[in-house]
Amino acid sequence: MYEIWLALNILWEISLGYWPLLIGIFGVWVLLMGVALRNGRTKWSAGALPAIVTGIFFGLIAFVAFPTMTASSLSAPGYWVDWAALSGIALAYGTICFLIALPLWAMFKGGRA
Amino acid sequence: MKNWDECNEKPASALRPDSARRAWIKALGAIPLSVGLGGIHPPVSGALKTNAHVVIAGSGLGGIAVANRLSRMLDGVQITIIDAKEEHNYQPGYTLVATGVWPVSKVRERNIDFQPANIRWIRDMVAGFEPESNTVVTARGERVRYDFLVVATGVHLDFALIEGMDVAAIGQNGLASVYPSPQAATATWAAMQAFVKSGGNALMTLPATPLKCAGAPLKMTFMLRDRLRQAGALAKANIRFESATSNVFGVKAVNDNVLERWGRLGIGVDYQRSLKAVDIGARKATFQLAGGQSIVLPYDFLHVVPPMRAPDAIRSSALAWQSGPFAAGGWLEVDKSTLQHRRYPNVFGIGDINGTPRGKTAATVKKSAPLVAHNLVEVIKGRQANELFDGYTSCPLITREGSAMLIEFDYEGRLTPSLPGIEPLQDSYFAWLMKYSMLKPAYLSVLRGRA
Repeated sequence: MYEIWLALNILWEISLGYWPLLIGIFGVWVLLMGVALRNGRTKWSAGALPAIVTGIFFGLIAFVAFPTMTASSLSAPGYWVDWAALSGIALAYGTICFLIALPLWAMFKGGRA
Repeated sequence: MKNWDECNEKPASALRPDSARRAWIKALGAIPLSVGLGGIHPPVSGALKTNAHVVIAGSGLGGIAVANRLSRMLDGVQITIIDAKEEHNYQPGYTLVATGVWPVSKVRERNIDFQPANIRWIRDMVAGFEPESNTVVTARGERVRYDFLVVATGVHLDFALIEGMDVAAIGQNGLASVYPSPQAATATWAAMQAFVKSGGNALMTLPATPLKCAGAPLKMTFMLRDRLRQAGALAKANIRFESATSNVFGVKAVNDNVLERWGRLGIGVDYQRSLKAVDIGARKATFQLAGGQSIVLPYDFLHVVPPMRAPDAIRSSALAWQSGPFAAGGWLEVDKSTLQHRRYPNVFGIGDINGTPRGKTAATVKKSAPLVAHNLVEVIKGRQANELFDGYTSCPLITREGSAMLIEFDYEGRLTPSLPGIEPLQDSYFAWLMKYSMLKPAYLSVLRGRA
């Protein structure tokens, strides 16, 4: 329980250093979602698959690039805990990219219908 | 390898020109995390009404963490912090600065940004403790009476025991030391870079006294070797570790693991060699051997780890251990389980000053700050200190840039990983990531009294 609380605190403290960026990303997402929801031709189901592919693509980039971004390398992970941590980080990045890509793809697919 | 340009000493007030951004971050940081996360509350007891006066000697991690906790746990408490230091240094980051991984700005903060509101801050050093009269005396002669005292002074780096040593000369003529300050860490990186270019003999020292962050001398050795490898300069350099004891680390499993690695990496180790003198200009170090004779070794790079002891104010007071293994260093005489003073029950100790078997690390404070605050509140209530500390300490032991071992252990020297699946002696990217990205945020949350 303490470790979970500590992890939440770590995320909080990290986010304090990136607050404007996080607000900006959230604001962009809200704006895109608002535009997409108001657009009568938005096709959410058609946009889901390409959005997932987009998320996976950027998640894979994060998986490969994150060690280098943290003064390490892809040869550093030594056992399953390392790979699980790196996978979790990649999943987080991929999820954010999916969420931003979804309204864009949904509007794009609707526009081509 | 990176070259960081932030080598100029700046006052803490000049560190962050973007005062609006810092004010924004400070305001957000003061918001209880429970608000931001919709109701997840830290495990602290309810506020007790009291008009007790608590004096906290020292404003490092331990002092400020306990101050923040007590300010929430005690309604009406008067808290006085005594420390002349305006700057707050993230000391666990010094090894990253000294080996070129971090810029120095990441280890420099300001105490005022983390202290609780409505406390009295005496900007002076403690010169003496008079526990018989519940009084602390400052360097300027102010006498401060207390009801309860938390000693959080940290250690004294006894460079004076090394004849010829000059902290101001760190960074020149191959002289290095990660411990004294952010500036020394930056200068150590400069010395390391010069050595990697020129090659030669590197001597890494370890004293016989207890020391804060016992892993730091090992991390510096591993990273020096890695910087040489990265530069393709291994063939022109020789690294030897000169230990004043019969080992290089106090936990046997870790000690043996490190020695096995160093054997493979070509790092030699000598034992029972205590650094006694240094001729900085001539680059010669004098070591005293077990039999009392001396040996003079030339060096091109010398990493000095100074002997450490309690500050004079504790060592010369009645608060220090009077006998036993911790008496020589003048360490604070606390019960190792409750961290309450063994003879003055209204006194507690936190952090490096404690005369306990192990644990002079930030991780020790992380685990013990809630306990000290809780036990102090229990004593204020008229009860016994009832939470017990197991001596937890932790060290992300860097083995090369980008990889580390996550070592956690207790008073008995047993490896005690916190998370399931963690293998303490395994080279790990996750352990490195913790050191590089997560431990400072964890430290800040401990500092704010949240974790």
